[in-house]
Amino acid sequence: MSGRAVALPRGRTVAVAEAGEGPVIVYLHGIADIHGASFGWLPFHEALVERFALIAPAHPGCAESSEDEAIETVDDLVFHYLELFDALGLGTLKLAGSCIGGWIAAEIAVRHPERVERLALIGPTGLFVPGAPIADVFWETHPADGVSFAGLRALLFGDGESGIAREMFPDLRGDIDREVLRYKLFRFASRIGFSPPYLHDRRLAGRLGRFRAPALAIQGADDRLVPRRHGEVYAEGFGDARLEVVEGAGHSAFAERPGAVAALVADFLAAP
Amino acid sequence: MHPVQLFHWHFMAYPYLPPDFDERYDTGWVTVPNSLWDRERTDGLYQEYIDQSVEAAELGFDGLVLNEHHQNIYGLMPSPNIVAAALTQRTERAKLVVLGNLLPLHLNPLRVAEEYAMIDSISGGRLIAGFAVGGGPEAYNYNIPSPQARQRFWESIDLIMRTWTEDGPFEHEGPSYPLRYVNIWPKPRQVPHPQVWIPGALSAETMDNVAKRGFDYFLSSRTHGAATRQARERFAEILERNGDAYNPFRMGVLLSVYVGETDAQAKEEAEEGVWYFLKYCLKGHLRRTGRTLTFGPGVPSQSVRSWRAYLENSTAGAPMLGDAEDWEDLESKASIVVGGPATVREKLWDLIEQAEVGNLLIQFHFGNMKDALARKSARLFAEEVAPALRERSADLFARKYPSLADRPAASAAE
Repeated sequence: MSGRAVALPRGRTVAVAEAGEGPVIVYLHGIADIHGASFGWLPFHEALVERFALIAPAHPGCAESSEDEAIETVDDLVFHYLELFDALGLGTLKLAGSCIGGWIAAEIAVRHPERVERLALIGPTGLFVPGAPIADVFWETHPADGVSFAGLRALLFGDGESGIAREMFPDLRGDIDREVLRYKLFRFASRIGFSPPYLHDRRLAGRLGRFRAPALAIQGADDRLVPRRHGEVYAEGFGDARLEVVEGAGHSAFAERPGAVAALVADFLAAP
Repeated sequence: MHPVQLFHWHFMAYPYLPPDFDERYDTGWVTVPNSLWDRERTDGLYQEYIDQSVEAAELGFDGLVLNEHHQNIYGLMPSPNIVAAALTQRTERAKLVVLGNLLPLHLNPLRVAEEYAMIDSISGGRLIAGFAVGGGPEAYNYNIPSPQARQRFWESIDLIMRTWTEDGPFEHEGPSYPLRYVNIWPKPRQVPHPQVWIPGALSAETMDNVAKRGFDYFLSSRTHGAATRQARERFAEILERNGDAYNPFRMGVLLSVYVGETDAQAKEEAEEGVWYFLKYCLKGHLRRTGRTLTFGPGVPSQSVRSWRAYLENSTAGAPMLGDAEDWEDLESKASIVVGGPATVREKLWDLIEQAEVGNLLIQFHFGNMKDALARKSARLFAEEVAPALRERSADLFARKYPSLADRPAASAAE
């Protein structure tokens, strides 16, 4: 993996991880992900790198990207990413995202469908579905016993006590650098997703039909953060989309079943 | 003379939780079921608490302190302004300290400017205006994004100060609260404006913002002499950097006190209320068990740099005030002062002498403490502790801060 800092107007810099050759995929990260809970690529990303040029920017304030006090809503991020795409010289692109990154990717796609060739979302937040709220991941960052992140892991993974879950979310002070990385992620997520509770934009569902290019939504069968209905609404709302449910995984399906999810995403994004 | 100012602080806890509360409920905040509220037993509860405050004013306390909390059993004042309004009708001299209104929770800071101005007018200029950001539980209660809260907080304060000190109508350009017509009726009674107190928990950023505006700082952690002295030293240094100078009345500190006839009797009388306060009221706030909602990545108000410093300088799961295991453990933390008059006098004098802090804001009622005990403790304090503290502190402050001689005396007790 190589990384670089991309300069944007108003003195902002974006930390961008890059690897691989081939068609470009821009990947927007989530919580249990690169720039959120991992300093480097996960096996899922490495599988994509075999076929694509993968570009993974860190959201404002995450990892080494500069924090932007001006960001208050997901709208601000759409403009942020348009500026990044311009800085990177990307006209149109294949766009993927997981969790919060999936939400942001969907917002970009409905506003600028002409720039997004294909769209792949994994466990995306972003929708308001009456009666099926996104769970409170913020609350779970306060350990119930003062030390253990079992509750947070249980929300983010099908098996919260699996190796990957424990590696990314060790109990308190297991890894201070990682705790700081996570703090940055939540500080970013809080800016755009703490209100309304949580991590969504009420207007997004009504706008999904604006995106008519092919889209794929993927959800872990045991996603406890984002109810299944959200994946269905995404798939029904876009002009040309389907939902794939991955067994044996929760919210972070790409981390829990990297091979299967990478194959779904790669096959989908490789199509012309 | 400028003796220490002694304030009576009432939190107004919910006192009728079941004895198995700790086993059955995982927090006293935000999600603690309000079906636990007992309609019959709570008839007259607010009156009882208000009467305790009124009696404190009659005993010669310099002021009465109220604060704002939501959806919890720790403090039953979602709107302290309502209680302050009631106290304007029952007291004549005591300062009314609302510490504070949680500004980011208000749709529009103009409302706070107006309500405080009303309290100040009705009370004949007795308001001390507190402003606070609100902690983690309040972020969850009102869904306030923590990273933006501080910016909104200081914008609100600066707008409120303008409403009080400038003639309207004028325009406020925002960014968070843009208003075309700002022109409150009435302005506060006190000119140029009521004293402003801002609570903080040692953050240099808060102290700096307080110093820049010439406000007073209130240390909100129940802490002992050495830590309070450190806070004072830091604040004094920041004041100087801003071309100002520290004196004891620039700072206040929160204390929890129970006075009995003797040490043994005090402990016996205080224990039930103190444990209720520690184990129930602090569950969800300052106790490991039951999620500390007060701070953390879920309510990320601190900068990344200060969060890293916190992680590097603290131990995961370290015991907090509510984790005290027994009375000896609690005494060793020195956060709650319980004893006969001589003991309490000695401990508080030690704090005043070490920290040179001139505003003591004292909690007398703990959790489910019985009315008669809370009143007796405040009375013993007023009669047997306060006079010595006033006398000795007036000497100490006059000696150490000669410039105080130019200040008008402020004590209601004089």
